[in-house]
This record gives sequence, structure tokens and C-alpha cells, in this order.
Amino acid sequence: MEVIIIPILASIAVMALGKKNQIWLSALMSMLPLVFVAQFFDRVGVDGGWKTLFDQPWISDNIRFTTGFDGLTGILLLLTNILVPVIILGGIRNDEHRVKITALTLFMQGALNGVFMAQDGLMFYIFWELALIPIYFITLTMSGVNAFKITLRFFIYTFVGSLAMLASLIYLFLHTANYSFAFEALRAVELSHTESIFVGGGILLAFLVKIPVLPFHSWQADTYTNTPAAGTMLLSGIMLKMGLYGLLRWFLPLAPESIEFYQPWVIGLSVAGVLYGALIAIRQKDMKRLVAFSSLSHVGLIAAGIFTLTLEGLEGSVIQLFVHGINVVGLFLVIELIERSTGTRMLGELGGLAKNNRLFMIFFMLIALGTVAVPFTNGFPGELLLLKSLYAYRPNLSLLAGLTIIFCAVYVFRMVQFSMFGEGKGEVASLKWNEILAFGIITFFILGLGFMPQMLIDIVHNSIVQIGQWVSEARGVMS
Amino acid sequence: MIALFVTFFSAVVLLFLGLNKKESNYSIFAAISLFVSAGLSWACSANLISFGLLESWVPANMMSFGKEQHLFSALLAFIVGLIILMFRKNEVVGNDQLGLMMFSLCGAYMMVSYQHLVMLFLGIEVLSIPLFVLAGASKTNLASNEASLKYFLMGAFSTGIFLLGTAFIYGGSGSLELEMMGIKPSFMHAMQGMPLPVLINAGIVLMSVGLLFKVAAAPFHFWAPDVYEGSPNRTTLFMATVVKIAAFVAFYRFLNTFAGIADAWKGWISVLGAITILWGNLAALNQTSVKRTLAFSSIAHAGYLVMFLLMADGTNTWILWFYGLAYALASVLVFSIANQLSVSTGKNDFSAFDGLAKRSPFVGVALVIGVLSMAGIPVSAGFNAKFYLFSFAWQHMPWLVGVGLLGSAISVGYYFKFFKHAFMQESEDASPVLDRGLLLFLSALILLLGAMPWAVLNSIF
Repeated sequence: MEVIIIPILASIAVMALGKKNQIWLSALMSMLPLVFVAQFFDRVGVDGGWKTLFDQPWISDNIRFTTGFDGLTGILLLLTNILVPVIILGGIRNDEHRVKITALTLFMQGALNGVFMAQDGLMFYIFWELALIPIYFITLTMSGVNAFKITLRFFIYTFVGSLAMLASLIYLFLHTANYSFAFEALRAVELSHTESIFVGGGILLAFLVKIPVLPFHSWQADTYTNTPAAGTMLLSGIMLKMGLYGLLRWFLPLAPESIEFYQPWVIGLSVAGVLYGALIAIRQKDMKRLVAFSSLSHVGLIAAGIFTLTLEGLEGSVIQLFVHGINVVGLFLVIELIERSTGTRMLGELGGLAKNNRLFMIFFMLIALGTVAVPFTNGFPGELLLLKSLYAYRPNLSLLAGLTIIFCAVYVFRMVQFSMFGEGKGEVASLKWNEILAFGIITFFILGLGFMPQMLIDIVHNSIVQIGQWVSEARGVMS
Repeated sequence: MIALFVTFFSAVVLLFLGLNKKESNYSIFAAISLFVSAGLSWACSANLISFGLLESWVPANMMSFGKEQHLFSALLAFIVGLIILMFRKNEVVGNDQLGLMMFSLCGAYMMVSYQHLVMLFLGIEVLSIPLFVLAGASKTNLASNEASLKYFLMGAFSTGIFLLGTAFIYGGSGSLELEMMGIKPSFMHAMQGMPLPVLINAGIVLMSVGLLFKVAAAPFHFWAPDVYEGSPNRTTLFMATVVKIAAFVAFYRFLNTFAGIADAWKGWISVLGAITILWGNLAALNQTSVKRTLAFSSIAHAGYLVMFLLMADGTNTWILWFYGLAYALASVLVFSIANQLSVSTGKNDFSAFDGLAKRSPFVGVALVIGVLSMAGIPVSAGFNAKFYLFSFAWQHMPWLVGVGLLGSAISVGYYFKFFKHAFMQESEDASPVLDRGLLLFLSALILLLGAMPWAVLNSIF
């Protein structure tokens, strides 16, 4: 409850303070929820099931405002409340939109915390939509000829997906014993095969659009490229993870009967997305667009890993979604700082940036290594687990998806090479304290998780085992 | 009843007081009397006070004054009070418009509490006749004259059809009383397996056509965009909210008496609902005028409310009440901003909204709240209203709910045009939007109904 309310109040405070507000103050406010998250870890722990923290009738007697906490929720709360301070520290430009974007980012933090803590289906939907509103208004600050079309396409894509999910949830709701949206009640609904395909399809659509998996990705690149950096970071770092979280938390337990039907499609499309995103990323000249497509490629692998339904796949996906959030925000931060100093993010117009700013160079290089999944950086363990799980499902597919490691190295190092080395064209301004702090947080997690990936697995293990049990009960077998 | 009484007498007093004075001197008085009507009605519904003597003047088979009727009366009075408050700076000489609007509201009270079809007919006439005048209130404006004439012709036409339907119903069931007229045909149909009398069937169809005209549902909606666009803003808002809600209450109470023979009318009414939803939403996509867009949006909302007709069973009336309240609040909020902008910029298309958020962030936020509530996006009153409506309607007409969801998705396409102009466009125009107090009140109410609907509903129902 606190982690939802505090950021929303902070957002109002930022609006009220207006231009008088300083970065340190908003960053401090965005870090406050982290204290409560730590307290959840301490008080609730991650060894039991999904424990209810707060419960109150909301939309009706049985549609409640229920927040819960377990390892999976914990990971995503950590991710959200670590990345939002990073975004506020480094990602928001000091221009006319600064106050608005800071306020919206904080509002979004509250909504996202709500999404990850919701134990009630309708509450989940409401916060899911609520998280869309601030990001939509952040994208509205973009400029350009097609700006409105891009934002509208983004909104309509996600909104249609959400409505499909709402329809599925209402269908389940009407089949519960006492008209309740509670997670347990929805899970207890027995569906026939056909029903579960429709219900599961609706829920799945919302998540696949958000992730995005291949045929639903066309909103992504334009939105990422044109949105102000804070928006891009929120979208790629956290919002995208809402889709993956939804798959794990809501799709697998609620419609396990339909997994059989969707499994080959989702895995196939995800692996296709992995290759497609990587190949297109290699050809990009705009750095932001490049990272957008690389993101498509990375999350495709995560989605595929979830759908293999193996323990490695599920755990690997949780690790990787955390790690991808950290790395992609790091990359966008690098691009944002380059663009702020030089005024461009086209690879052809950049070069030799390493010469005058060594610190920046080191941070960039570490983030790049993490993205490429070099051993002892955070990208490695998750990717290994995911590829292993994919190998268990279909060895050929894992070979195809494994190509992404090579492609990823190509486009990331190409980006580093063209911008950092070669003949000098422009220079990056020396880093301010807030930017160093933002980079510091990111590199801490890149190296820390590279050496101790087991930490994440320990947090999430129990939740994943439980989800796996539910799925296997419904399917009869669990590989 | 008490609302009818208070509203009627304050309207008469207003007319006498302000025959040749400026309207703005008296609009606060009008608004207060309406809020008093609303408050008294609400108090009656909560059994805090009772006006039994007053109510006993009306024969019980003509009008009924239960909790539901009191609550709808309170809702309608509250909305009209807000509308009058919103236009309180109107510099017209003479109180005739205020008086007419309140007389029209008396007709709306009758429509929500009728027990006899004659009272329904009288209610519709009392509601409509002042509106013919109000629609043409800006006498020098050709569009307003056109709106008045169109509304008059359509109103006369639909009333004729409605009366014919009433006569058929009387012929088929032998009664015009709400509680009696459904019994005989339902009994004969359900218990004895007899086919429905043709007169009853035809009567239901004809009366429904008359009422569908009033709520502006397809295919009887053609008059609405022109009339809404041509009428003065205040009249448009009155027609889009009060008339629509009152007509839906009357409609559902009428159809509910024939619940026993629902097969006879559910099919085609649901098809009309689906057509209304799609038509309203699709036609709104290509409008350039703000008022026309809102007119089509109100047609789409009528389509959603058709779902309520199919599921009404006397216990879930609160859904219609809540939807009406949410829809009216959002409409008043958006209209009030649009009205002030069109007055200050002189434009009627979306470019009046250019640069609004930059000029006045507060009004920008209010606009966001209003439009999101209209589009049904959480956390707003509009979302909860749609959620209640859709989730209850699902058991009766799942496919219609599907169409409703599709309609909601389409509606984003035109509702977000407001944001495009308010947030993305620049404008040199620097005239501020006044009336922040009302905007703040409406936005807060919408958010309150969005954030804690159950607490509010529990305290009212």
C-alpha cells in the first residue's frame, strides 16, 4: 500500500513545487519506496507463498484492493524502485518538460508497484491501465510530423490488448463461485479446452503486445525512438516487464489448460523475434532505434524461456527480465547523455567520444559487456539458463536463438566502436554527480549480479516452483 | 415529488422576479434551488424526511415515489444545477431560459417516476416542449433555428409513433398502468403457451421507437448531431445528459413490465444497441467540430446504455444511476472547458484547444480527467460505470459486451484528439480558462467515484 501511495503523493508534490524542485529532492522521493520494499523482504520473506499485505473492499464487496508479496513480486518491486531513481537522476532533460516528466515518472512508479502487488484481477487490470496513462503523456511530449500518430498507435495497440484481457478476466469472474476477482478464486475456475483457449488468448494478447512478441511489435520502434529518454527507459526497462510478469503470474496459473495450444506459437514467434530484432538492429544508424530492436530480440528470448515451462526457463526468465531492465536503461542513459552533449545519436555523425571522457567510456563499456552477456557480467547467467531451457524444448530452436549472442556482440560493439573510437567528432560533457550516481547504480548491478546471480534465484525460487506446480497439476506433466 | 414541487415553484418565482433583468443575477438562485431539490430528494430516499402528504395528492397508480425515483430525481436536479452553475455568467436579459430549463426538468422527474403511460406521455411532452424553445434560443443564429425546427419535427413525429404504440398496448393488455399491463400477456404467453397478441408486439415496437428517438439511439439518431451542434451549448448539454438519462429510466421501466416476454424484444433491441455503439464511435472519428464529436460520443454512450435495458431486473438500477452520474459529470466537465474555449477563441473545432496544457496546466489536468472518464479508462468514474455495466450485461448478451469493448477501443481514436491539441500543439492565444472552482469540484468528484465507487454507492443505495 505504502509503495503505491508514496510515489503518487510525491508526483503531486513535484507538480506543486514546479520549477523550484531539485533533482536530489525528486530522486530522494523516488527512493523512499525502496525502504518499504526492503521491509517487505524482511517482514514477509520469500520462502512462503504469496502473502496478503492489505485487503479492503473496493469496486464491490468481492472485488477488492488486495496487495500481496512474494519473491516474484519482490524482484519486480526491486527493479521498479531501483530504476525509477536512476531515470530521475540521469534520464530527464532540463527543459520545459522537466517538471511534467518527473511528476509523471513518479506517478508511474506508484502505478507499476500496484501492478506488481495486485492480488485481485480487476485491481491488476486497473493498475495495468493506470500505468499506461503517465507513459502516454510522456510520449505526448515528443515532437515531429507523425508524433500524434505514433502515440496513438502505441496507445491503441496496448489498449486493445488490455481490453481483451479485461474480457477474459470478466469471463473468469462470472464463473467464480461468489463473483470474486481474487487470484485464488480466478485460478479455481475450471475451464473446458475451448473456453480456456479463448480466455487464455485474451490474457495472452495483452501481455504479448506489451512485451512485444513479433506480430504485435510494430508500435515499439517508433515509440522508443521518438519518446523523450525518460519515457523510453520506463517503457523498455519496466513496462515491458509488466508483460513478462503477467505471463508468469497471471497467464500460466489462470489458463494452464491453454498452454499446450499456445506453446509452439509463442515460442516460435519469440524465437523469430529474437532473430528478426537482432538482424534489424545490426543495420540501424540511429542508436535509440538500434537499442529498441535489440530489446525486441532480448525479450523474445525471455518469452520463449517462460513458455518452455522448465524450471531453468522460468528462473532464467526472471533473472533476465531484471538484468535486461538494468542493462537497457543503462544503454538508453548512455545514448541520452551522448545526445545531450553532441546533439545527435546517429552513428555516422559520432566518433572518438572516448578521448576526453574516460569515466563515461568505462561505464559505457561495462553496460555493453553486460548486454552482450560476457561471463561475470549480469547478462550471462540468465541467457545461459534460457538457452538451456530452449535446448530442452527443441535443440534446433536453441541453436537459432543462440545466434543472437553473436549478433548482439556485433551490434553492440558496432555501436561502441562508431561512437567511442575513431576520429574525434564532438565530445561528451564531463559527468555531473547525479549522472555518476545513476551509472554507479547500474554498474553495481551489472558486476554484482554477474558474480552472484544466485541471489536473484534464491529470491524467486519458491514462487517459481509454485507456479510450476500449478501448471503441472493442470497439464499432468512437468518437464 | 418534493423535487418536482421545489423545482416548479422556484422556476415560477424566477420567471416573475427576472422578467427584464440579466440572467446572471439569478442563476445562483436557480442553481441553489436545484441543489435543494436534489438534497431533499436524496434525504427522502434515505428515509431521513418524508413528504407523505404531498405525495398522497397524486394517485398511486399514476406516479410512484420510491427510493429509486427519489434518487434519479436527485441525480437529474444535481446535473441541471451543475449546468446552470457552469453558465452562470450568461448575460442574456430575461430569465425565460432558466425557467424553461427547470420546467423541462419537471418533465424529466415525471418520466422517472411514472406508473401510468399517460403520465409518461405527459412527462415526455413537458420535457420536450421547453426544449424546442431552448434549442432555438440564439434567435439570430441560423443553425440554432435549424436545430429547433429539426428537434420539433422529430419530437412531434416520435410522439405520434409513441402514442400509437400506447394505444396498441392498451388494446392488447387492457391497461395503461405499468404494473398491470405486462401481467396478462406475460401470463398467457408463459403459462398457457399462447402466441403473443400482435397488438402487444406492435405496441412494444412503436413505443420503443418513440423512446429510442429521445435517447438518440441508431437508427433514430440522425437528428442528434445537427440539433446538438446547432443548439446553444447549455441546451446541448441538457439534451445530452438530462434528457438521455430520463428517457433511459423511462425506457427501462417500460420494458421491465414486459420482462416475462423478453424474447419478443431483447433480440432486436440488442442489435440496435450494437449498431448504435459502432455507428456513434465510427462516425465520431472523422468529425472536426468539438460539439459534433461529443454528439456522436453521446450516441455511443446511448448504445452502451442499451445493454442496461437488456439486463434490468429492478435490483440493479444502481448501475444506470451510476453510469448516468459518471457520464453526466464527465460531459459537464469537458463541455464546460470546450464552451469557455470556444467563447474565448471564437473557434468551434479542435484547434480551440491548442496549447491549453501549457497555458493552464490545471485545466489540462481537468481535461485529461474528464476525457479519460468518458473513454472509460481507470481510475475514473467512467471506468467503474462501464465495468459494472459490462460485467452485469455479460450474462445476458455476451456478444453485445464484445461490441461494447470494441467500441471503447475505437473511441480512444477521437477522445485523444483533445490531448493532441491540448498537449502537442502550440498557440499564441493566451486567454485563460476561468471557472477553476467548478472544474476542480467536477474532477475531484470523478476521481472520487473512480477511486472508491463502492464506498460511495453503499452510502447512497
